[in-house]
Amino acid sequence: MNVEELVRDALREQAVQQPPAPPGFADRVLGARRRRRTRRVASVALATAAVVAIAVGGPLLDSGHKNHVRPSGTVGSGEVQAHPDQSPPRELIGAGDAVLAAYYTAKIQPQTDRRAVSARTYWLLDPKTGKYEKDSRWSFVAVAPGLRTAAVLERDLPAHRIGLLDLATRKVERWIPVRHGVGGLAFSYDGTRLVATTYDENPDLRVREKLFRGKGKRDGWMWGVRFGESSRSGFYDLDVASGAGSWSPVASGRDINSRADFAFSRTGELVYGQRIGGRDGLQQFYDLKGDEVAAPANEKYLRSDVPARLSPSGRLAALGLTKEVGGRPGRSYSSVRDPRTGKEITKVRGGHLLAWADEKHLIAWERVTSLEEEYRPQLVLVTIGSDKVVPLSGVQKPAEPTDLVEPWEPVFARR
Amino acid sequence: MDAEAQESFRQFVAGRSTALLKTAVLLAGGDRHAAEDLLQNALVKAAGRWQRIDEPEAYVRRILYRQQISRWRLKWRRREVMVAEPPESGAGHSPDTSGAAELRLVLRTALSRLTARQRTVLVLRYFEDLPEADVARLLGCSVGTVRSTTHRSLARLRELAPELAALAPRQPQPSRDFSPVEVRP
Repeated sequence: MNVEELVRDALREQAVQQPPAPPGFADRVLGARRRRRTRRVASVALATAAVVAIAVGGPLLDSGHKNHVRPSGTVGSGEVQAHPDQSPPRELIGAGDAVLAAYYTAKIQPQTDRRAVSARTYWLLDPKTGKYEKDSRWSFVAVAPGLRTAAVLERDLPAHRIGLLDLATRKVERWIPVRHGVGGLAFSYDGTRLVATTYDENPDLRVREKLFRGKGKRDGWMWGVRFGESSRSGFYDLDVASGAGSWSPVASGRDINSRADFAFSRTGELVYGQRIGGRDGLQQFYDLKGDEVAAPANEKYLRSDVPARLSPSGRLAALGLTKEVGGRPGRSYSSVRDPRTGKEITKVRGGHLLAWADEKHLIAWERVTSLEEEYRPQLVLVTIGSDKVVPLSGVQKPAEPTDLVEPWEPVFARR
Repeated sequence: MDAEAQESFRQFVAGRSTALLKTAVLLAGGDRHAAEDLLQNALVKAAGRWQRIDEPEAYVRRILYRQQISRWRLKWRRREVMVAEPPESGAGHSPDTSGAAELRLVLRTALSRLTARQRTVLVLRYFEDLPEADVARLLGCSVGTVRSTTHRSLARLRELAPELAALAPRQPQPSRDFSPVEVRP
């Protein structure tokens, strides 16, 4: 084979691996044309960036697709890709717009008698083979929409540089050096920006805690999360393309967890983090200077502990567990609400809503055990307006409190 | 654009944008977001004269190629040179280049580091399989320029990916711009 033939093969292979054009591309183009004509924007680049930010429409899995479960497939496909026999997953799991881009397990690594660190190990989706490959170089990974790039932190947290990893080659294309140590990362909805949460010490510290096992049993001890103390110091708002950005301090307090990473609001104008208070899932928003602000109107009723948040169109909000029905297995239902009024529109199957596949479908954890048995979940695809669940992964094995390894946790990204 | 034209434009985009996007991704060196921008710009231009275009796909492709080489935007250029540290290399990290798959991956990275013009010529020659004369017509340059650009692009790929050297012996450096080397008939 000569170089020309190899170039030909490499180009064709790269072309074949491309996912389809985003749904609603014609609308996006016509919208861009309209805006360009009316506003007469001087810079083409600016107009394009604005359009990309607005293009949030997701593909609708039509009813013909919802029962169509393919055992495997490519990243490019919008169909349902399920491996109900795999836990943790070995091959691509996804539905509609949502792909399991990575997963991680965490292992307690004692440092002294009283202190330990819960260190993560990630398995990243290889977009070429559709398999999850272990990459133990990183302690934290955030995957950008499109599944081409991940932002990574090296082993020792807090880290003083952020890597932009090419998921196809597994090479860091660029390092962004940072003065304040970073412990967590999250991309904006359009993938153009990165919020990096800074900490003065490792946010995954664990402390030795007494464990009461109940009457008649010997008490033990476990490595627990430190409550009431966090070394969180602020965040960087970074432009992914240039690596440029600024750091904003945010005062720490007793009402956040040790790890309390920031994430962008849907528009990227604000960031929010979890707040501990009278009920679960509270969130506190900040402007990009780090000052506390009120929640935006469409995110006011969301919960910081329900990752799915707003639907692709922004018209629906995924909320928390609202009802459980006995049986074998038990059935869980989460609430889907109007984001602006907080009123429940419907309930959908699933105990923990993780990601929107499209406007009608979500990926969720759902239990396979009865309400009386130990909670054991698997990833499922649920449909608004239907009681049907489609298993996507095998069942996650629960960890004992004294276990040093925590069960796998999914990381989703949009195709 | 009236309702009928808009409908035909939507049909065209729905039917052809996936194929067009593949080309755009190659032109953008694998950058999917940049490719979507590139295609969107081309389609916006095509939408502006939709009722007057006879062959929409050919028209959109021509815009894609031309805008890529003549006016690739500052931000793309910046992306190409903003590498703060070179991608990892050296004994500890060098990929196993014994297999063709690995070689293609190495090559893909190298392709992303070519200039837009170099990449466009290679995409037209080796992905679209166009004869040199057609490439020249599309890009508005001479056949000699297509040849020399192809040659230089392949030479640059060899520099960026020394693993390719094993495939074919290095050709002598061109003494003139139109050296007819390494170009398929």
